Amino acid sequence: MAGSNEINLNECKMMVPLNTWVLISNFKLAYNLLRRPDGTFNRHLAEFLDRRVPANVNPVGGVFSFDVLIDRGTGLLVRIYRPATGEEPQLNIVDLEKPVTAEVVPVIIFFHGGSFAHSSANSTIYDNLCRILVGTCKAVVVSVNYRRAPENRYPCAYDDGWAALKWVNSRSWLQSQKDSKVHIYLAGDSSGGNIAHHVALQAVESGIDILGNVLLNPMFGGQERTESEKRLDGKYFVTLRDRDWYWRAFLPEGEDRDHPACNPFGPNGRSLEGIKFPKSLVVVAGLDLIQDWQLAYVEGLKKAGQEVKLLYMEQATIGFYLLPNNNHFHVVMDEISKFVGSDC
Amino acid sequence: MKRDNNHLQPNPDPSSSSSLGGGSSAGKAKLWVEEATQQDCGMDELLAVLGYKVKTSDMAEVAQKLEQLEEVMCNVQDDGISHLASETVHFNPSDLSTWLQSMLSEFNPPSSFDPFGADGTATATALDDSFLCGPAESSTLSTLDFENNNRQHQKSGQQIFEEASCSDYDLKAIPGKAIYSQNTQTQPPTHDSSSSSTHNIVKPEKRLKSSSGSHSDIFPPPPPPAGAASYGIPSDSIRPVVLVDSQENGIRLVHALMACAEAVQQNNLNLAEALVKQIGFLAISQAGAMRKVATYFAEALARRIYRLYPQNPLDHSLSDVLHMHFYETCPYLKFAHFTANQAILEAFEGKKRVHVIDFSMNQGMQWPALMQALALRPGGPPAFRLTGIGPPSHDNSDHLQEVGWKLAQLAETIHVEFEYRGFVANSLADLDASMLDLRPTEVEAVAVNSVFELHKLLARPGAIDKVFSVVEQMRPEIVTIVEQEANHNGPVFLDRFTEALHYYSTLFDSLEGSASGQDKVMSEVYLGKQICNVVACEGVDRVERHESLTQWRNRFTSAGFSPVLLGSNAFKQASMLLALFAGGDGYGVEENNGCLMLGWHNRPLITTSAWKPANNTSPTSTITY
Repeated sequence: MAGSNEINLNECKMMVPLNTWVLISNFKLAYNLLRRPDGTFNRHLAEFLDRRVPANVNPVGGVFSFDVLIDRGTGLLVRIYRPATGEEPQLNIVDLEKPVTAEVVPVIIFFHGGSFAHSSANSTIYDNLCRILVGTCKAVVVSVNYRRAPENRYPCAYDDGWAALKWVNSRSWLQSQKDSKVHIYLAGDSSGGNIAHHVALQAVESGIDILGNVLLNPMFGGQERTESEKRLDGKYFVTLRDRDWYWRAFLPEGEDRDHPACNPFGPNGRSLEGIKFPKSLVVVAGLDLIQDWQLAYVEGLKKAGQEVKLLYMEQATIGFYLLPNNNHFHVVMDEISKFVGSDC
Repeated sequence: MKRDNNHLQPNPDPSSSSSLGGGSSAGKAKLWVEEATQQDCGMDELLAVLGYKVKTSDMAEVAQKLEQLEEVMCNVQDDGISHLASETVHFNPSDLSTWLQSMLSEFNPPSSFDPFGADGTATATALDDSFLCGPAESSTLSTLDFENNNRQHQKSGQQIFEEASCSDYDLKAIPGKAIYSQNTQTQPPTHDSSSSSTHNIVKPEKRLKSSSGSHSDIFPPPPPPAGAASYGIPSDSIRPVVLVDSQENGIRLVHALMACAEAVQQNNLNLAEALVKQIGFLAISQAGAMRKVATYFAEALARRIYRLYPQNPLDHSLSDVLHMHFYETCPYLKFAHFTANQAILEAFEGKKRVHVIDFSMNQGMQWPALMQALALRPGGPPAFRLTGIGPPSHDNSDHLQEVGWKLAQLAETIHVEFEYRGFVANSLADLDASMLDLRPTEVEAVAVNSVFELHKLLARPGAIDKVFSVVEQMRPEIVTIVEQEANHNGPVFLDRFTEALHYYSTLFDSLEGSASGQDKVMSEVYLGKQICNVVACEGVDRVERHESLTQWRNRFTSAGFSPVLLGSNAFKQASMLLALFAGGDGYGVEENNGCLMLGWHNRPLITTSAWKPANNTSPTSTITY
């Protein structure tokens, strides 16, 4: 066992820059400490270890941020990132919700990853990513601090996503000048991608227009063990065992991985045929063990006649988008900006 | 000099992915050039942005440690891993190298170690040796005794299962009032003739001659105190803001307050006066926390406009009452006491005689919990000496003495040898080390404690520097500091006003959900006095000169102190303490480079940090800011 582990580590190290390897291995190590075999989670240690940043109304790199408590009952916070217009060095509280001025301003509602259990909107890795999205897409980004498993199982995260969507949709200061509507995109990585899909579904049913979904290494699964899961188990930071743990922590007790939250096009899924689902950009990392499920998701959308673009990054591992030190990162950011900028 | 080349390898050809659109190759080339020019001795910038401090030159070694840990965790049974998660105390996860090392040490306990913690003797060469050794030669890791690892080494050196005794050390949340005995007799305690010595000494209160403060011209904005200029307030400071949903945030009210403050800044007093009246009307129709905050700020602005400065200092008994209510109503003071006590307890480990010098004595509410924890220490409590420092009272009552008597009574019931002295001083800068009857370090360990007091020194030039030097002379094991996490000491009035408005809005919002009625009102009055001071006062009278952790870090390190890290055990218990408070869901604890912050809805509000004079310790290579 030790021997094959060594091979895994060396191979893995060759595929990513060393600092990326250190970053993701560190997460893997920390996460191993946090998951208990009985399905409980060491939340205190998780909060202690997670690196965080406060919001900052002082523009940094042309972006400023502030938090808004949108639901006191559930304690639902969102962090809003806006491009600084450059006029004022010091922003006042009255300027924070100043109306957007451009003809078209994309508003990206972002759901951070963490397999439903880890991270927060103010985790440094996600604060950083959201700031990059503002610059790349010339967008306002709203990062949702949704409730996490195992303390809050399905459907809490989706409910929080839905609450955030309704809130964003009703902000007059986020309306584009062109049509006095909020131009909304949903985006997320890992569990956040999964949440984006389900929130989009709810939006369709409720008549809120979503212009597009951006799913980065979205977290899907199923009861069956796919070929990619067997082939890549434990090879690139992620094991089947930990995937199983997170699904058990998120899904309702007693449910298996064919629950539609996990497997939207599986035996218990619903057909999206004939419904006005937003166009999707789905990014799949070639070294991600759950890629077969992600590819099946793309197929499911296509079969239902939905517009979807697949970006298959053959040599990418999970988390490649956390650091800008690889080509996949730049390619993907480019594609996202084109995707989001395509309705003007 | 090791140079890691891995991150310069071009990535596998991306054109093999069939469904790619055109990438931006210009961007890619630029990025790799930047990486090539990175200094070896510098931090990896990309990881630094994400909150991890790893030197580029250490990267390969850190990777090695990760691999070693992976190896070890595969081989050890589940017990070993769960021990790491539940028993081990973790420190400063941003310092990856040290954090990983400390976990590796858990699996490879050092063969010999000094329980009284010799200071770090690590050298660069020792570091390199360990890199070359595989796990089998891990005994060499025992020589890597970084200063901040000392406590961890002490713990890991014991049997793994002895870790459980740490929980006896750790403080439990004890409500302040319950500790005081109901007995109000004032005669000195008699000697207890039983076997344990309960020899309590309460020395007569010393009154210090204070340097008189002159009332300089208050109105024009004063130049910043000399101390501040030399440390410099960072221009890239962070300003966190949390808004509550539009209904409650009173945007019109805020507009009016800002406009009024701006008028004051520009010395347009007629306009300011008109606006202040308007605020009064707007405030009435506003609900919740915002109404109260607006009222206090409006009053403070009015005082500034009409030059009706608040009486300073306060009537002592009133301020005591307010302080007490604030203590009971919301978790800020309890968090402060709790986290400071935890650090002090750890610093006093193994010491037989200890001396706490408290700059913020008030009613001594911090100390019962520490004394109880010391009483429960395995091996018995140390002799506990307390020096309490506080401002003079106007009615000539010996309030510091009374507090001392009460604590002496407690000490007797829990069988802790206790000694107390109170000092009255107008300013901490009036203190000299010689007044404190300090005993040699080998005989008695010293802790200095200051909760919401240090910032007041920034009102007088040179005061903070004097206090730093006096503290150094005390040769403390630890200096625990709790301060408001805000910059209310900037040179421009309008900036201070804006900062304070955000800060106190958040603070008042957190009070809304907690106790109702009189307790809440008292707490609001307590905070209202601070607001008044920040907005209406200037010069030596403006004592609420709060500064952020970044600024305090600069001051402490420039004054020759190095950080003592607060760890995951203090974090966890502080979190659990918060859960006890009604409406507590919005509170959260955050770890920041060894300091702990308490915040409301992700907005940090107070910070506990701990320090030690750096003069006797060799500088560590791992703590950098």
